[in-house]
Amino acid sequence: MYGINNMKNLSEPEKSKGVVVFAFNTDAIDYVKIADQTSKLIEKNLGLPVTLITDKNSEPKFNYDRVLTVTNDKNDNVRTIDNVQYQWRNKGRYLAYELSPYAKTVLLDTDYLVLDSSLNDIFELDFDYKIMQESVMSAGHFPRSMGNLSHDWLWATVVFFTKSTKARLLFELVKRIQENYGYYRSLFHISSNFRNDFAFAMADIILNGYTTDYKNYLPYKMFTVTEKLKNLEIKNNSIVIRQEAKADVSPIQNLHIIDKEFLLSENFQKFVEHVTA
Amino acid sequence: MTDTIQDLVAQVRQSTDYQINKRILKEKIVTDLHMTYRNGMFLITPTVLSFVATWPDSTLYLEDTYENPIEIDRDEFLLQARQHYQTAMNVWHQQHEELKRTRKV
Repeated sequence: MYGINNMKNLSEPEKSKGVVVFAFNTDAIDYVKIADQTSKLIEKNLGLPVTLITDKNSEPKFNYDRVLTVTNDKNDNVRTIDNVQYQWRNKGRYLAYELSPYAKTVLLDTDYLVLDSSLNDIFELDFDYKIMQESVMSAGHFPRSMGNLSHDWLWATVVFFTKSTKARLLFELVKRIQENYGYYRSLFHISSNFRNDFAFAMADIILNGYTTDYKNYLPYKMFTVTEKLKNLEIKNNSIVIRQEAKADVSPIQNLHIIDKEFLLSENFQKFVEHVTA
Repeated sequence: MTDTIQDLVAQVRQSTDYQINKRILKEKIVTDLHMTYRNGMFLITPTVLSFVATWPDSTLYLEDTYENPIEIDRDEFLLQARQHYQTAMNVWHQQHEELKRTRKV
């Protein structure tokens, strides 16, 4: 169960727009430390207030607009990357709607690096919610089927929402799916554990009468870096994404980084310092 | 001998693939070619620019990326769209030229 321990600021007038991030530390990964770093990039490139939703054991260092603590049920998921198992706590994302102090919110994963201002354009549109639909990686299109006989997932890495009836229903459905995941997993023929990407995709499909509507998706793709990283560098107005055996060159754009160890490294801190200087 | 192998490893690590970088750049430029106008989202293409430029009336309705009909002030839209297109395409050209020269980073 989740409990809301700190909502003292929610009676204040709503700000027009802002960013919400979730970070719950696990035994292996200090997600709050990652959120502290990536929030610096958000502040620099979007100029928006950032609210952190975390648990009472966290000690955030970034100057967040608000820090809201919730009770985490420690119901961890395990994910294997490069034959190493990582814990991550991804439950409770549905609380974003209720806890966001903003009229228009973008809910971002802590591993999403905001390096340009393109997300600000979305706030100019009228929407109930918009979710990142597609991602590309250096190897090409990112396959995203929830199972051999299932639909494609959506990327809950970037979710825009307005405080509206339809958006509230979306998040209530995400909650329902999380709490009854066994049922929805069978219904949608999903082959793996709970993921927010799956929950938002299922909620979107159900909310649209068991169909999909691209008007609920962002119009462009997200670049995901799936490889283990050695470093990120800004060079000649580009980002050099240095891996073990090669390097990719990207224009300066938002990046979704899978390698959490890199996001905890000194190299990443130096990169953030360089970008935000 | 060890130094040579280490040098080779270092050189391999510095290598980069033009075709991959080119594709990454293009995806970003497609993002940049999107422009918001009066609560609508438009992908600015040569077709959109030509259509608006040749429309005889000062006001028209144009379908945006999300199938919304948006009222367009022809001259205002054209000015913004041309600037937007030119900026994105300049960046594309400039960075593409840079990528062609880059084999190691």
